[in-house]
Amino acid sequence: MILGIPDLQIVIGYGLAIGLALACIVYGLLNWNREGEEDGS
Amino acid sequence: MAVDTLTLTVLAAIYIAVTFYLGYLGYKKTKCSEDYLVAGRSSHPIIIALSYGATFISTSAIVGFGGAAANLGMGLIWLTVLNIGIGILLAFVVFGKKTREIGQRLSAITFPDLMGKIYKSPALQYISGFIIIVGMPLYTAAILIGGARFIEPTFNMEYTSALLIFAAIVAIYVFFGGLIAVMYTDALQGAIMLIGMSFLIVLTYVYLGGITAANTALTNMADMVPKALADQGMTGWTSMPELGSPIWFTLITTLVLGVGIGVLAQPQLIVRFMTAKDGKSLNRAVLVGGPFILMMTGVAFTVGALSNVWFYQQDGTIAITAAGGNVDAIIPLFITQAMPDIFVVIFLLTLLSAAMSTLSGLFHAMGTALVCDIWGRGRECALSLRANQCGLIVMIIVSLVIAFVLPGSIIARATAMFMGLCASAFLPAFAVGVYARTPSTRAAIWSMVSGTAVWFFWTAFVHAAEAKPLGICQALTGQVTLLGAPWTVIDPLIIALPVSAVIMAVMQLRSAREQDGAVEVPA
Repeated sequence: MILGIPDLQIVIGYGLAIGLALACIVYGLLNWNREGEEDGS
Repeated sequence: MAVDTLTLTVLAAIYIAVTFYLGYLGYKKTKCSEDYLVAGRSSHPIIIALSYGATFISTSAIVGFGGAAANLGMGLIWLTVLNIGIGILLAFVVFGKKTREIGQRLSAITFPDLMGKIYKSPALQYISGFIIIVGMPLYTAAILIGGARFIEPTFNMEYTSALLIFAAIVAIYVFFGGLIAVMYTDALQGAIMLIGMSFLIVLTYVYLGGITAANTALTNMADMVPKALADQGMTGWTSMPELGSPIWFTLITTLVLGVGIGVLAQPQLIVRFMTAKDGKSLNRAVLVGGPFILMMTGVAFTVGALSNVWFYQQDGTIAITAAGGNVDAIIPLFITQAMPDIFVVIFLLTLLSAAMSTLSGLFHAMGTALVCDIWGRGRECALSLRANQCGLIVMIIVSLVIAFVLPGSIIARATAMFMGLCASAFLPAFAVGVYARTPSTRAAIWSMVSGTAVWFFWTAFVHAAEAKPLGICQALTGQVTLLGAPWTVIDPLIIALPVSAVIMAVMQLRSAREQDGAVEVPA
C-alpha cells in the first residue's frame, strides 16, 4: 500500500503522470533556446 | 447553491467583459487573413500552451470524465498519463515542430489545407474538410449542451436562452477576432481553470484528512461498489478493474486509449502548432502544457474518485447514489456541497472557461474548413475575412440546430466519439505526411477513407454504447449489434485506427518502392 493505494497499477499510473509532467518541465528548460533539428542549431 | 445569484452574475459579467476586451485586442491585431486563420504565426509560447490545453480540456473532461472517475475509480489516471505523454510530449515534440515547419514552408492555413499541400492533393483537402464539417458539429453541439445545462440552473435561465446566449458570446469574439482572439481568450480561460483546479485538489485532500488518509478511506470502501459494477469487473475505487472484464474494456479502450490517442489528430489542436513563430516557442510551450494537463485531468479524476469518501462521510452513501444516478451531476454536486462559497464561484468560472475555450477553437476550425477547404478551395475569396466569417456563422447555426436535437446525456460520449473519429481518419496520414520524404497520396486517401468507414461501421453496428441509441443496426438487421461480447464494449478506435494505419503503411511502403503515385515534399 503506497499513500493509501493498494494497487500497484494505479500507483504506477500516478507516478507516470507526475513524472511526465516533470519531464515536460525539464524538456522545456533544456530546450528553451533550441530550434528544431531541421533548423540546424 | 450557496452563492447568491447577484454575486455570481457580477463576477460572470466581469469575466465576460475581460473576455470581450481580449477579443477586441484580437480584432485590432487582425490585419490579414493569415492573422485570422493562424494568428499571424507569431504566438507567444505561454499563450500557445494555455490555448492548446484549454481547447483540449473541455467541460466534458472535468465534469463528464471526473464523474466517470467517481463511478469507475482512479484507474482513469492512465488517461492523464496518455494526455501528457501523447497529448503534450509526443504531440509537441514529435508532430508539433514538424507541423509548424511544414505549415510555414507550404503556407498552410488550416489542417485540411496542410494535408492537401503536403500530398499535393485537392482530394485530401476536400476529404479532411468534409470529415471536419460532418464530425465536428456533433462534438461542438455536445460542448454547447454542456455549457447551457450548466448555465441554466446557475443563472436561473431558460435552457434555450442559455444555449443561444452561450453560443452568441463565443461567436462574437471568434467572428471579429479570429484565431488571435481565440488564443488570447483561451489563455485567460486556461489560467482561470488552473486556479480553480489547484484549489479543488488542495481543499479536497484537506477536507478528507490528507493524502494517505483520504486514499485509505477510499480503499476501505471497496465493499460498497454497486453490485452491477462489481459483476462487470470493478474491484474498488483505488484498484484497476479485473483484466478483460467489460469495465476494463470500457475503461481502457474507450476512455484511456480512445481519448488519449484521439487527441493527437484533432484539427483544432494541430492548427495551434502552425501559430508558433519558431521551434523554440513549441519547446517552451511544452514546459507549461505538461503541468497544465496534470492539473486538469489528473485533478478531476482524483477528486472524482475521492468524492465517494466525502459523500460517505456526510450521508453514508457513494457519489453516484448521492447524485441520483447521474454521473454528470457528481462533480457539480460535490463542489456545491463540499467547497466554500467563493470556491463555488471560482469553479463555476472554471467550467465556463473550459466550455468557452473548447467551443471557440471548434467554431474557428469548422468555419475555416467550410470556407477555405470545401467551398472556396483554391479560390482567392476563400482567404478573405468576410468569407471566413460567413463560414463561421453557417457552422455555428448547424451546431446549434444539432444541439437542440441531441439528448443532454451525450457530452462525454460525443467527446470520445469525435476523438476516435479524428484518430481513425487522420492520424496515420498526418504522421506519414509530416515525416515521410515521399508521402503517397493514394495511401493517404485510402487510409483516411477506410479509417472513417470502419469507424462508422463499428460505431453503428458493433459498439453497443452507440449502436443501441443510433438504432441503425436494429432497423437493418433486427439485432441491436452484429457481434456479441466482448466486441460490443471495444471502442471503434481500437479497430479502425489499426486498419487505417496498416493500409497507410502497406501502401506507403509499396509506393516508396515503386515510386508510383508518390510526391516529393518540397524542401
